[in-house]
Amino acid sequence: MRTFRSSRGPRLLAAAAVASLLVAACGGGASPAPTTPISPTSGPTTALPSGEPSASPAGGYSGPEAKISYAIWGDPAELKSQQAIVDAFKAANPKIDVDVTVSDWDAYWDKLQTGLAGGAAPDVFAMDGPLFPDYQSRDVLLDLEPMIDRDGYDLGQLADQGVADFTAADGGQYALPRDLNTVVLYYNKTMFDAAGLPYPDETWDWAKLVEVGKKLTKDVDGDGTVDQWGFYTETTDMENYWSSLVWQNGGDIVSADRTKTLLGTPEAAGGIQFLQDLIWKEKIMADPALFVETGDAFEQGKAAMESNGSWLVPTHTAAAGDLGFEFGIAPLPKGPAGRFTSVNPTGAVVYKGTKSPDAAWEFVKYLASPAAQEQLMKLKASLPVSKEVLAGPYATSFEGARVLADSLAYAKLKPSFAGYNEFTTILQGELDANVFLDPKKTAAQALADVVPQLDAILAGQ
Amino acid sequence: MTVFRRRAAPGPVPRRRGGPVAAEARWAWLFLAPTLIGLAILSAGPILATFGISLTKWDLLRPPDWVGLENYAALVQDKRFLVALRNTGFYTVVSVPLGMALALGLALALNHGIRGIAWIRTAYFLPVVTSATAVGLVWAWIYAPSGGILNQLIGLAGLPPQKWVSDPFWAMPAIIMMSVWQGLGTSVIIFLAGLQAIPQEYYDAASVDGAGRWARFRSVTLPLLTPSLFFTGILALISAFQIFDQVYVLARPGKPTEATVTLVYFIYENGFKNFKMGYAAAASWVLFLIVAVLTLIYFRSQRRWVHYQ
Repeated sequence: MRTFRSSRGPRLLAAAAVASLLVAACGGGASPAPTTPISPTSGPTTALPSGEPSASPAGGYSGPEAKISYAIWGDPAELKSQQAIVDAFKAANPKIDVDVTVSDWDAYWDKLQTGLAGGAAPDVFAMDGPLFPDYQSRDVLLDLEPMIDRDGYDLGQLADQGVADFTAADGGQYALPRDLNTVVLYYNKTMFDAAGLPYPDETWDWAKLVEVGKKLTKDVDGDGTVDQWGFYTETTDMENYWSSLVWQNGGDIVSADRTKTLLGTPEAAGGIQFLQDLIWKEKIMADPALFVETGDAFEQGKAAMESNGSWLVPTHTAAAGDLGFEFGIAPLPKGPAGRFTSVNPTGAVVYKGTKSPDAAWEFVKYLASPAAQEQLMKLKASLPVSKEVLAGPYATSFEGARVLADSLAYAKLKPSFAGYNEFTTILQGELDANVFLDPKKTAAQALADVVPQLDAILAGQ
Repeated sequence: MTVFRRRAAPGPVPRRRGGPVAAEARWAWLFLAPTLIGLAILSAGPILATFGISLTKWDLLRPPDWVGLENYAALVQDKRFLVALRNTGFYTVVSVPLGMALALGLALALNHGIRGIAWIRTAYFLPVVTSATAVGLVWAWIYAPSGGILNQLIGLAGLPPQKWVSDPFWAMPAIIMMSVWQGLGTSVIIFLAGLQAIPQEYYDAASVDGAGRWARFRSVTLPLLTPSLFFTGILALISAFQIFDQVYVLARPGKPTEATVTLVYFIYENGFKNFKMGYAAAASWVLFLIVAVLTLIYFRSQRRWVHYQ
């Protein structure tokens, strides 16, 4: 999701891609043909001899030579990082060639769907947690459970939420997680120091956020309008803040069986109401429209605190360097029902129609291995999923990394259910127009207006 | 427009030396063949297929299920579809006349043998050939609520800053403004060609009869420009109903809300985001029928107001 939300440029390019994918949709069959004859010989391919759960540098693959394609969304830095991982994999597994392709967020899904429809999907591709049920339920993903059992692969070495998000209702395991993102409170140390205020810490709650936020909201240049805000977040997706607020207030977004929404409850409304109040009542956050074109207010040095995802560490670091401020990372403030944050894993899934399932599985395992995870970690754009890396090298890799790693202990999975896109389009359309951008309705009123539509979408899946 | 004048030309089509009309027709078909074959395979085929798809429930990934007219029945009750219809209608009703009036005014102004006319024409045509993505990015900055050029401009006139694309009231007008600016070039070029095809003698004769500037425009320019007006009108109408890229790049926050969702965006959203290709196909047939009916009415109307020389 980070490409989708954090930068507008790549997203815009997708418009052009729409046209080309329509052509591609008609084209169909031009898949990169594997050089080797169609592989999967019946019967088990050589089992991994070791108790070593992750792909050993020596390589556990002894099937025929294979060429697999691996599709991801992301920016050039992520492509570079993933390419380094792929190169290391190829060095360890000379019989498997991996071809990486990258797209921006919107184009990625458009291409993927047309590829799947035309039977020419990538062998391995990145999967966003919330969208997983829409693909899994349509029977296009390979269940990895048989290979996990065959190899005795220990899922316990990976972050629990990351594994759980890709376990389907039928009990199958359709992905290994590749990385995770959680939501934390960033704060501008320079602004706190200038105001003589102590930094946010784990004792903070909603009231404290508002109290300190007010002290940091001011008219710095004295022209009569506020130009520094105490707080900033993105309101256009539940992940950046408001889903955590709902949980912190004792509510939830959908029922455990994913058949109806729980947004009609006073607890859910209270969480969303808190965000509306930060903007329009307490006024410690700017009207979201003010930053919709120019981007993150925190990165422009115009907000003292921000609730947002771990994917922003690289750009925050760059912005802080450019503007000459320092920032820190704290847990999200507690709500009436306790401390919660959101975690969203990205998984690596295998296309059910792949010609090289064993090679694909070998690669998926490698992506989750400590070696690959330590490479991924260097980007600082997400958390590793390997518990060993999380607790060890990652937690000390930069200031605040431990806060991110520790946040998994109180993180809930970003809601994930079939019909997610349609559900959030209707829901956010209402919240953006009538709650956040313009307080025409209270959160409770707006939610009451859309809950029947949301329930109908869930019922229609 | 040569096409129209040719059609209305009195008398039979002059024969070419050395060949009967039949031979000429054969050549005509031969030259048309690449386009016709392309249209048949790449356009007509998919259009017909879309109708079949519109009668199914299809998520692209699994085989379609036959549902008859269910998708069409559901569309009528879909609030977002009706909103998209309303927005597209509003966009068309405002942008088509506005775009044509502005283009006509510009063409008239540019038709006076100004020096460097070629450069000016190029300048007006540049936005047409610029990608909607780049144009959208620039206009997003123009419309930025804090520090955007437009707010600074109206600030000079003492008006309060607006949120433009983030404001449900201004969102569609803002998108219309950008599209009209972007599409102006095409109409200007066509109008200029039309204006230059009007023989100077008509103006001379009108002047001799004592016609002033306005009368010359009313009685000579406008009637003789009606073929161009007709042609640009049909282009503008059809493309207005297909408005997508401008909404895709400019709608805030992130994706179109009730204020900005249009029919083609609705189709894209359902087909590619909501796994409802059958539903999207039904919506595109509704769009097709609307455009077809309006085009038919428009063509029928030409007898009343279009004058070919």
